[in-house]
Amino acid sequence: MASSIYSLVYYSRNYIASDETTFAANVDQILAKSRLNNQRDEITGALLFNAGCFAQVLEGPLDTVEAAFERIQQDERHGDVSLLALNPIEHRSFPNWAMGFIGTSKIHAERFADIGSSSGFDPSRLTGDEINSLLRELAIEEEAA
Amino acid sequence: MNAVTSFLHKTEADPSSMPSYEKILELLPRPVIFVGSDGIVLYANPSTEVLLGTVIGRDVHELFPGFMSGLISMPGALSSVLVSWNEVAFEAAFAALGNGRFLIDLRPSLQASITSMPSDMDDLTGLAKRNALLSHLSCALSVKAPSSFVAIHCLDLDRFKMVNDMLGHAVGDLLLQKVANRLTSACRKGDIVARLGGDEFVVLQNDVNDEAAAETLASRIVDLVGRTYVINGHTINIGASVGVALSSAGIQARDLLRNGDLALYEAKRAGRGRYRTFESGMDALLLNRREMEIDLRRALALKQFKLHYQPFLDVTTNKVDGFEALLRWEHPKKGNIPPLSFIPLAEENGLIVKIGEWVIRAACMEALSWPEDMVVAVNVSPLQFKSDTLLETVAAALERSGLPAHRLEIEITEGALLDDTEKVVQTLNALRNLGVKISMDDFGTGYSSLSYLQKFPFNKIKIDRSFVAGHSTDSEAILRSIASLGRSLGMAITAEGVETAEQLARIRGERCTHVQGYLTGRPMSTHQIPDFLRQNDLQTEKL
Repeated sequence: MASSIYSLVYYSRNYIASDETTFAANVDQILAKSRLNNQRDEITGALLFNAGCFAQVLEGPLDTVEAAFERIQQDERHGDVSLLALNPIEHRSFPNWAMGFIGTSKIHAERFADIGSSSGFDPSRLTGDEINSLLRELAIEEEAA
Repeated sequence: MNAVTSFLHKTEADPSSMPSYEKILELLPRPVIFVGSDGIVLYANPSTEVLLGTVIGRDVHELFPGFMSGLISMPGALSSVLVSWNEVAFEAAFAALGNGRFLIDLRPSLQASITSMPSDMDDLTGLAKRNALLSHLSCALSVKAPSSFVAIHCLDLDRFKMVNDMLGHAVGDLLLQKVANRLTSACRKGDIVARLGGDEFVVLQNDVNDEAAAETLASRIVDLVGRTYVINGHTINIGASVGVALSSAGIQARDLLRNGDLALYEAKRAGRGRYRTFESGMDALLLNRREMEIDLRRALALKQFKLHYQPFLDVTTNKVDGFEALLRWEHPKKGNIPPLSFIPLAEENGLIVKIGEWVIRAACMEALSWPEDMVVAVNVSPLQFKSDTLLETVAAALERSGLPAHRLEIEITEGALLDDTEKVVQTLNALRNLGVKISMDDFGTGYSSLSYLQKFPFNKIKIDRSFVAGHSTDSEAILRSIASLGRSLGMAITAEGVETAEQLARIRGERCTHVQGYLTGRPMSTHQIPDFLRQNDLQTEKL
């Protein structure tokens, strides 16, 4: 039987102004809004971010994943969205939806530590699947870009 | 009453004969509302209050929830249906009073019900249709503040047809809905998005401060609509081309839309996936192009094309090896039209294929009358390679004229090798198997990729004139390098554009095998060739 759960993976360039307060305020906003929507839409996954990019895995029913992606596409806070994968999956890699800072910036790592822990972000989940671990590496590379 | 209503209040000299205008308004059995530029009701006659309750000081959008995206819609000439907050339907007419203020005249509608609105709406996307757009636009133009503009963004989706063809109309329709949604999200309240049909959309942008503000939205539209879509598990990529036009004093809605369309045409011509802003002159330009296209379409039948021939000489013997056929258009009214003025157009509309076929046939016929073994070189456009008929055309031209294949040389530019290289190389090989010579034209101006030289064993490389004319040591070094590279690959080398004896001496020293240019012979008509050859033979003997 065909799987009814899909995984969508993308990464994009972060357009949020680089000043710290704006960046942090936007990150909070994204977390609050996405958490609400994704819970409603049965979407799990992970949103990785740093000053350079966003990288996200969305898992869930095709229609809600598509709707979420469409909302994401309309967001002005990022651009150059590369859709890396859209595939049916056997089972979810992530138990919930969470977001966390990923990168080498110490300041950001500290600043956004709360976001990660409060949303249940678990970087180790990113290493199980090939595309997910690729995404993680990509995000780190894009941090400085 | 407040100061605003006083403008309506003109007292008559003799009150007994004529009631004041204000009194007339008060007695009028239907509602009349005066709205300020911010959308707040400043005056309403008593009939209004009877039907709608207190309205002064309220927002017109609140009174009429369907009031299209905030704008002061629809021109005085057209009436449209407005439904009030308490669900009374009115036929509404509008009159602009300047500075963004306007008057609404409401007539309780007999047949108009709430459901009569959708006729102005596109079923698929819920956007305004053409008529509604025109109404909105006329009104926006009449009520806008003098210091601001109204901008029109006309857009077409690039590659939409392909999506429809490959994934079906159901997916195509979903895509259109998503596009509509993205456009709406890019706009502000007060802007209007319309779908004119197919994949044609128009955005009406209100309260535009300057051209930059319109361009910001245009580039936003190009970006947003061009982002990847995911629909039913399909990943879809399309693009948007946008034509922007800003209102000018006194411009009519239809003219502004037409300007937007002209700019859209330019955007598509410039390569799609981008926006262009209308500039005066674009219409004249398009008119010229259309005229020229009409003329070009019949030029072939009317035999207005001629071939001129420019000789190329062997640098060691100084003898003419052959001639390059050059296309000339002798327009009955405009005189000689240079190739650079019409070839790009012919390539754009595909006429180049038919014209190119004629060139090959005519060149083969004419070359047959030349002395033995003299070669005729013919330029072939990249588009002819794509047309699938090139091989057939060449074979037929040789057969019909009786010209031996080795006397025909096909000149191609790098452009021909850019797309679908494999197929082009296949055609080139087939041509060579016929016995035809193949040369690479204008080498040095494009990518000049050495891999092209490796992909196909050209008989000849023609080095672009810019390296011959160039006086710098750099261009000399490049000329020398290309020449020695070509020769070590066994190719002949023609230096183009040789105009002076000094240049000729130079290219002799740099291993070029052939020379072509004004110095050794200008392009000439076919009947001048015998004389030219005679002269040249005499000179060669003297040398």
